Amino acid sequence: MRIVGYVGDTALQEALAEAAGRLGAELVSINAGAGGLAANADQLLPVLRTHPNALVFEVKPDLLATVRTETRARDISLIAACNGQEDVRRAVRCGVDDWMLLPADADQVHARLMALGYRPRAGGDQPVGELADHMRYEELLYDRFTGFPTLPVMLERGRELLERRGRMTVLYIEFVRYSKLEEIYGWEKLDAVLQSTAAAVRDFYDTRTSGEENLLMVSHTGDDDFIFFTDLPDAVETAERRINEITHALEQHVRGRIEAEHGEDVAGLFEIYVGSATLFRNPKIRPERIIYRGIREAAAAARGVESRERSRKVADLKETIREEAVYIVYHPIVVTETKEIYGYEALARGTHRALRSPEVMFGVAEEANLIWELSRLCRRKAIQGMDETLAAGQYLFLNIDPHDFRDPSFRFDEEDMNVPHPERIVLEITERTAITDYPTFQGYLRAFRDHGFRFAVDDAGSGYAGLGSIANLEPDFIKLDISLISGIDANFMKQNLVETMVQFANDNGIKVIAEGVERVEEYETVKQIGVHLTQGFYFHDAQTRGHVAGAATAKA
Amino acid sequence: MAAADSKGTILVVDDNPDNVEILRAFLESRGYAVSQAPDGRTALARMEQVRPELVLLDVMMPGMDGWQVCRTIKNHPEFGGSTRVVMVTAKGAFEDKFEGLRNGADDYVVKPVDFKDLLEKVERNLAARGSAA
Repeated sequence: MRIVGYVGDTALQEALAEAAGRLGAELVSINAGAGGLAANADQLLPVLRTHPNALVFEVKPDLLATVRTETRARDISLIAACNGQEDVRRAVRCGVDDWMLLPADADQVHARLMALGYRPRAGGDQPVGELADHMRYEELLYDRFTGFPTLPVMLERGRELLERRGRMTVLYIEFVRYSKLEEIYGWEKLDAVLQSTAAAVRDFYDTRTSGEENLLMVSHTGDDDFIFFTDLPDAVETAERRINEITHALEQHVRGRIEAEHGEDVAGLFEIYVGSATLFRNPKIRPERIIYRGIREAAAAARGVESRERSRKVADLKETIREEAVYIVYHPIVVTETKEIYGYEALARGTHRALRSPEVMFGVAEEANLIWELSRLCRRKAIQGMDETLAAGQYLFLNIDPHDFRDPSFRFDEEDMNVPHPERIVLEITERTAITDYPTFQGYLRAFRDHGFRFAVDDAGSGYAGLGSIANLEPDFIKLDISLISGIDANFMKQNLVETMVQFANDNGIKVIAEGVERVEEYETVKQIGVHLTQGFYFHDAQTRGHVAGAATAKA
Repeated sequence: MAAADSKGTILVVDDNPDNVEILRAFLESRGYAVSQAPDGRTALARMEQVRPELVLLDVMMPGMDGWQVCRTIKNHPEFGGSTRVVMVTAKGAFEDKFEGLRNGADDYVVKPVDFKDLLEKVERNLAARGSAA
């Protein structure tokens, strides 16, 4: 095999030399970018006339088309090395056989040169077919989302390590996200968080491998999990300490990044569990099998850690309920037009670190069958704290799960709901939980309503419930789901939907609340559409934040 | 191609030839180049050939429905990000709007089409596309 490298980047030159060496291929290297366009073309084109098998071409936009024509005429595979997405687009558009994004290491270049052999060569001008093929191979070898190598590429490296060292350790990193993340924030948010996670792992891997650390490689397993192959010290104790160290450092790194980019609330919905397995070379067993078995063992170990953590959380929750270790954060809801505070939504948080996120806390409670106990505690605390946070005339928005109506102590005349000003309390019922028994449910609602309580339908637009079923509940407020609001300024579909909701609300004497307003553009858009009330981090500015934070610490 | 001096190319996808004719006549009178397709499969082939800036896509069609076509266009690695898709849905179908959001559509107009509304939405989507590119 003969390969021509037309490359300016020195790192890529080295990677190419190494990859060619591994393949036992002859490499002709041309230093790109030294002269002007004409000089470059003069250097490159004669070499192509010698009919090499492949050309690795660092994209020069003005040369690309010529190079494609020349390589196609001579049946030379063209791999574009791209500096940035713009180059990628150009390369794909002109139909290169493969492309890679710089920086690329020797392993990557090697894998791509290998892949050329398996690829059916596109005959004529078939842009669509070529593109589809390209995407398929791309997905096979490198994860599109993270750019990490996938299992086939990784096995190759693992085998090499196993041969060389006689032993290696697999670390299986399981990212568990609370399943409601997507429901609460929408898939766009989830994608963004996964991207941050992948970037953080990548980053972690890069800083680790630049040192003397023997952390070998990383792969994304299609799901949200990652695998590292590493080479640990001999002594068992040191090895274990090392695993703990890596786990801890990785967790800190990823959590820090998610927190910085998406806030503490979102970061609280992620857990990281690491399992490990050490493998030894066995000449009687195929190395692939040893590696697969190791990955399975490590994955099982990670799951073991997860279930231990879960039972610890249940214990934490029982303690939380016994010691009333929750505090309430009051999030302001403002009149959109004037920014005056209309009321506050009470959100409960656990003081235990692991239960800080309300979604996690209530999730654990649901699993452990302690949901009524926890809900009662949170309601009581929210109502108790009402007087010191709310001014006269402001409303308290309380989250109620449809389950709660089945709790015999959740009645307007029972102790914890027997409040002096029921007309200042708005019960928020989420649209997410399916209400199965409508007549009974409406009976409960009516009893509360007759007593002066008001109602809001929470998360409207997150489920499939249409306007009809919202109307059935005869709410006083409709709270639009955060997924309808985030990025609304640039999304006409969302604007259309919210407009429809506002019209419907106006026709029925209902007020609409936009939840999750974070940026001024979002605020301006909902204001212009005529949304009555607004809530979100955009309003947690100096004036309200002091207030909110004060309320939080007072309860902590 | 006519696209060179037009205000942009619009692909109209509808299985009813009368609807296509009416939309074509209107859009061409406003200076747009119009390409057309009677079903989803043809629409995707046209996408490759004419690379329209905007697609006006009927929801109810035999074969691939409008949602499938919309998803396919929006997920295309090359032109997915730069093509605006405006759905044409039945009036008052609230669920359709959610479906549009879920499938990545950019906007919608209701049937029967109100030309003023249509023009407004075509213009705002082409403007948004210009500022994003």
